[in-house]
Amino acid sequence: MKINRRSLLSAALVATMLASTSLLAPATAYAEEKTLVVRFYDDPAGFDPSNIFRIENENIAFNIFSGLTTYDGVTGEIIPDLAESWETTDNITWTFHLRHGVQWQQNYGEVTAADVLYSFNRILDPATASPYASELAGIESMEAPDPYTVVIKLSAPNGNFLHTVANYHQGQIVKKEAIEAAGDQVRWQPVGTGPYYLDSIDVNSQIVLKRHEGYYKGPAPIDTIDFQIIKDDATAAIALRNGEIDLLMRQSKQEQLQTLEAEGFKMNHVDNYAVALKVLNLTDPILSDVRVRQAIAYAIDYPSITAALAPSLQAPAYSLLLPWMDVYSDAAPRYEYDPEKSKALLAEAGYGDGFTLKVLGTSAQGVTEQQQFEIDYLSQVGINMELELVDTPTFNQRRNAGDFMMAGRLLPAVNPDMILFSYLHPENMAPGGLNGARYDNPELTNTLEAARAEADPDKRLDLYAKVQEVAMTDLPYIPATASNVFWPGKQNVTGVNINYLAQVNFWDVDIEE
Amino acid sequence: MLTYSLKRLAQLSFTVLGVVTLVFFTMRMIPGDPISAMAGDNLSGAALDQVRNQMGLNEPLLLQYLHYLGGLAVLDFGNTVTTKLPIIQLILDALPVTVSIAIGTIALTVLIAIPLGTLAAYTAHKGHKMLDNAITGLAMVLDLMPSFWTSLVCLLIFSLALGWFPASGTVTIDDPVQLLRRIALPVLVLSMAQIATMARITRTSVLEVLNEDYVRTARSMGWSELRVLFRHALKNAALPIVTVIGLSFGNLLNGTVIVEFIFTLPGIGSLLVGGINSRDYQMVQTLILFYALIFVIINFATDLVYRVFDPRVQI
Repeated sequence: MKINRRSLLSAALVATMLASTSLLAPATAYAEEKTLVVRFYDDPAGFDPSNIFRIENENIAFNIFSGLTTYDGVTGEIIPDLAESWETTDNITWTFHLRHGVQWQQNYGEVTAADVLYSFNRILDPATASPYASELAGIESMEAPDPYTVVIKLSAPNGNFLHTVANYHQGQIVKKEAIEAAGDQVRWQPVGTGPYYLDSIDVNSQIVLKRHEGYYKGPAPIDTIDFQIIKDDATAAIALRNGEIDLLMRQSKQEQLQTLEAEGFKMNHVDNYAVALKVLNLTDPILSDVRVRQAIAYAIDYPSITAALAPSLQAPAYSLLLPWMDVYSDAAPRYEYDPEKSKALLAEAGYGDGFTLKVLGTSAQGVTEQQQFEIDYLSQVGINMELELVDTPTFNQRRNAGDFMMAGRLLPAVNPDMILFSYLHPENMAPGGLNGARYDNPELTNTLEAARAEADPDKRLDLYAKVQEVAMTDLPYIPATASNVFWPGKQNVTGVNINYLAQVNFWDVDIEE
Repeated sequence: MLTYSLKRLAQLSFTVLGVVTLVFFTMRMIPGDPISAMAGDNLSGAALDQVRNQMGLNEPLLLQYLHYLGGLAVLDFGNTVTTKLPIIQLILDALPVTVSIAIGTIALTVLIAIPLGTLAAYTAHKGHKMLDNAITGLAMVLDLMPSFWTSLVCLLIFSLALGWFPASGTVTIDDPVQLLRRIALPVLVLSMAQIATMARITRTSVLEVLNEDYVRTARSMGWSELRVLFRHALKNAALPIVTVIGLSFGNLLNGTVIVEFIFTLPGIGSLLVGGINSRDYQMVQTLILFYALIFVIINFATDLVYRVFDPRVQI
């Protein structure tokens, strides 16, 4: 086509007309879709509730699925989710009343009681091989008298059952037809009832969630959440500063946090998310003496260590439980830094000349500054701390097998009763269970069982307080530090409430223009 | 030439089988398994054993090995243990990223290192020590800088301060512009180390050749210095340089681990590190087999090139 002045003019005219019609069109049709770019920090391993591992995967699943109950983002309290209400009289029979009209993603219809029964039965089925089956093992029978009612009968009273059915692991409700349609790829084709559904995934670089328009609380404000996999903490901070991402899922480097804070980023965080413990192997002849364990606790000044190394990321811990947990008691004994008391206890136990404490650790971060401090503090009371660093799988295996003297462990569970049972009850002794200290004190065991069964809330609290007191006197585990979780983000990203499972409900999150 | 090639190939196949077997058994000798790697702090031993059983990890080792060889025979590389995704697909997705980095690095290296090395050799030959010292000194400094450090420095300068390249973002071969922008810094970082080695090798081998009689003859025929240098000296000095290029390419294909991690590039190196950390036996076995094949092919190709340059070469 030959271009002359006339054709140019007519082209300009057409362009002007097109532009003006688009200006007249309703603004909403042209409103830009909101996309939030979030840093994801590890390899995704799938989102099947029956065998989901690791916090970052759990966080995605938390937004795709729902439970009968869930955790409030701000207070951490149990609140209704798929179940609008529930009742129990004896902590044995639990009746849940489901919300009407809750829609599945991907056009799978409405949620009914049958879906709840299917989900729990799937976890309990040995063929599923779910590591969370034991969480539901207390269920004796389940019934659905009508499509919106679920009645669960337990074999023994459990005052903490609402945690078990929360939007987490075994508590997440799945759809039978969707599970069967996905076959062996179920972890990559999750279908839930949460505010977002999985749109696409490239396990090497990106996970994309899209808004579930039929979400029962109404559609979320953001259309698309684009999770970019950035493993290195320093690179992630640069990506945020560069404006490539809006929100940084977890930043674990104190110096990066300081830089980001100084540059005016929003420091979304949750404090006291989990306790890092020292597991003391009680089958060790030296550590089996309670005086030695107490001496170690008195010898290390964790408040000073956390203040010096990572004041944002860590706080000192004084119990297996955290102050925000409903059954936490602050009456249990504390071990404030006291080297003289430590030396006296060691002398009394026959280790006046000290001993060698072998500590198993992971090589993931090399010898940490915290470990250097611990070595120094212990040497001042005559304990020679020797560090053995192995890679994570080896560490997990040896810790489970009891092939260590002292090792670390993080307690990320939100259910305090689960923590106490798993770590202190002799039935849960490692390698089968999580009681890695191999601790067995009948007095504590009885109190713990009584606490779980107690229906009177006040009596229950007293019993749990007693459990914490005995545990902190016997000291099979030494609480070292509590960790804080940070998700730095742009100032215009609002509603990032990290709950005590270190998860964010993206239904609350919005981008302000 | 054909007999020579066949003989080399037969030798190399045995090498590959040896590698496959060795990797299979050593992976299982390392303490910890895929399940203990996944476990973290939250799961008990009994729960994990249940998963282990379902994954077939409690079967006898020999049986697992035979299964593996049987799969290989029909080119079935299986799924990853942890994520159940087809391994070959993961590798094919990651390969273009790593290969692009490797090719980019070799190209940049050759472009800079060979003229630099030749120049150093020439000035040394002429007795101008200063330029030669400067070049070899620079090569030494480049060689000493660890890549995790140069990576972060490059990110701070070119990404954060100047804003030329992104620090993160999706990478696929389908978007060549984005791919180039994402691999530019890794290529720069990796080239720094490669340039050092290759410039030094070039310098040494060119210097040796410059003292040969035929170079003197060429000069006496009145040819220009450049022609003498590139036509005669460099061509004859090429053998060790070709070897180094070949080996560097192989090394780059599996040695980009650190830059891939820091620049968050979904390449082969990231797959391998992830596989080892999560004890994903199937993934590590397949990747090592893949590396072995690359080395075998590169060795084979280098041998053939040698033979072209110097027909006296024998097995």
